[in-house]
Amino acid sequence: METYNLALNIEEIERNFQENPLEFFKDKKLCLFKACLEKYFPGVRWGIHDLLESLQLEVSTCKNQSCCTGTFFQRNLITRAQFAAINERNINEINQQADILLFSCNGCYNSLLRGREFLKIPQVKKKTQEILDQLKKNVKRETYPRMYDILENPKVRFIHDLDFLYLIRNDVINSLKFDLSDFKVAVHYGCHYLNLSRDKRSVNHYLKDKSKLEELITLFGGTPVDYQERESCCGWGASQLLINPREALKITANKLLSAQNVGADFIITPCPTCLYTLSKPEYREKMNKWFNEKLDIPTIHLNELVALLRGCEEERCITLRRKTPRIEEIFEIITQQ
Amino acid sequence: MDEYSDSEWNWEFYEELVEDVDENKNIIQCISCGKCVGDCPAAKVSEFNIRKIIRKVLRGDKSVLKDSDIWYCYLCERCKRVCPRENINIPMLIINLRNESFKKGYGPKYNDLRKYVEMAERFLTTGVVLEEPLGEKLPQQRIDELNEICNFARIKYVFKASKNKRKKKK
Repeated sequence: METYNLALNIEEIERNFQENPLEFFKDKKLCLFKACLEKYFPGVRWGIHDLLESLQLEVSTCKNQSCCTGTFFQRNLITRAQFAAINERNINEINQQADILLFSCNGCYNSLLRGREFLKIPQVKKKTQEILDQLKKNVKRETYPRMYDILENPKVRFIHDLDFLYLIRNDVINSLKFDLSDFKVAVHYGCHYLNLSRDKRSVNHYLKDKSKLEELITLFGGTPVDYQERESCCGWGASQLLINPREALKITANKLLSAQNVGADFIITPCPTCLYTLSKPEYREKMNKWFNEKLDIPTIHLNELVALLRGCEEERCITLRRKTPRIEEIFEIITQQ
Repeated sequence: MDEYSDSEWNWEFYEELVEDVDENKNIIQCISCGKCVGDCPAAKVSEFNIRKIIRKVLRGDKSVLKDSDIWYCYLCERCKRVCPRENINIPMLIINLRNESFKKGYGPKYNDLRKYVEMAERFLTTGVVLEEPLGEKLPQQRIDELNEICNFARIKYVFKASKNKRKKKK
């Protein structure tokens, strides 16, 4: 039987590894999907990489992986079959070296799930294989068997970093040197995590709030605060920020203001694209100019926060090559403990 | 909202969209409850109104392809989540409508896509949209494969347009 949905079955791991879900990953090869926006936030990659290594898990990145191209598909610059072909090429390569693929970005996670979903449509699947067959013609010697075939049952499974960190939360907490006591934290999940398909036949599943970020913040010793715009978009909106910046930044401003008004010390998100939108100084300046709103609330990615709480060297995990005042304030308060 | 008479009812446009993307057939199940509009981020800051768009499509009103509204969607999938019906995929409908709009020459002009020029150029020359932070470059053969996959796609035309513009400048 063909498997289209490659999302890791988290419930099954929770059932079978109740004592310690980390055990499930111990004999697996893990790979980090490289998200474009990690360019601006290298700590997002380093944060999770460093944690996985410290937990003695085998972790790598894939040299042959390209961009997920979600942004081009959403802007009608490539077709469904081309998008699915790029996706399958990446999955082919990653499947050679890993059992589990971790995502730090909601956009990439959604793209890889969506690319596979498109293969359920017979004409898209046929066209996708035709495109991949063209690639095969140019490959002089296959580096592995069935290179660039649509894999009906690949071994690799996908998991979002938020789901992963939540799953192994006990081990994460044990690795922390600092906590979040005295911090009020506003959470931002991001649309492509929050709005991923839900089972509408189950009222409980359909209506249930996603709450893993709040639970992690509580476990880290902080206080999650509710705010009116908790579920709203960050404003990126499939590049609306580039095309209709004033409207998009109105959404961003409403979100930041709403979190600021309830006294949140910072906003945490599991997506670097949302982080980019919510934190870019140039956008903050524009919001100040256009809407007369002074928005100072700092923002941080979940992976960066974990690195920070683990006492991970700031230069390596958080800013790497790029000094930023973005989380300096949070860093200083946490590390003063 | 525009008013329609019964004589203007036709399924031609709907059938065209369904032929292109089969999933679009489900929009006929729309009960106009308005939950998608109430929860839509774009509706809060622009004239974007998905109920109005679905109504136009079901009435065969192709003026929807000329409307700037369809370009305001954030593709956040919130509507898909809150819709009480099971299989209505509004973001996919919007992508499909934008495609039709492009085909008819109503889509955004080159100038509106200028932000994409750089991204398209980087993707087709390096395989990534932004520089990899650890400097791990994609091998040239893989980049060639991505170019092969993207043959005849709009991304190639955006890329070519940027090169032509640069040549002219020189």
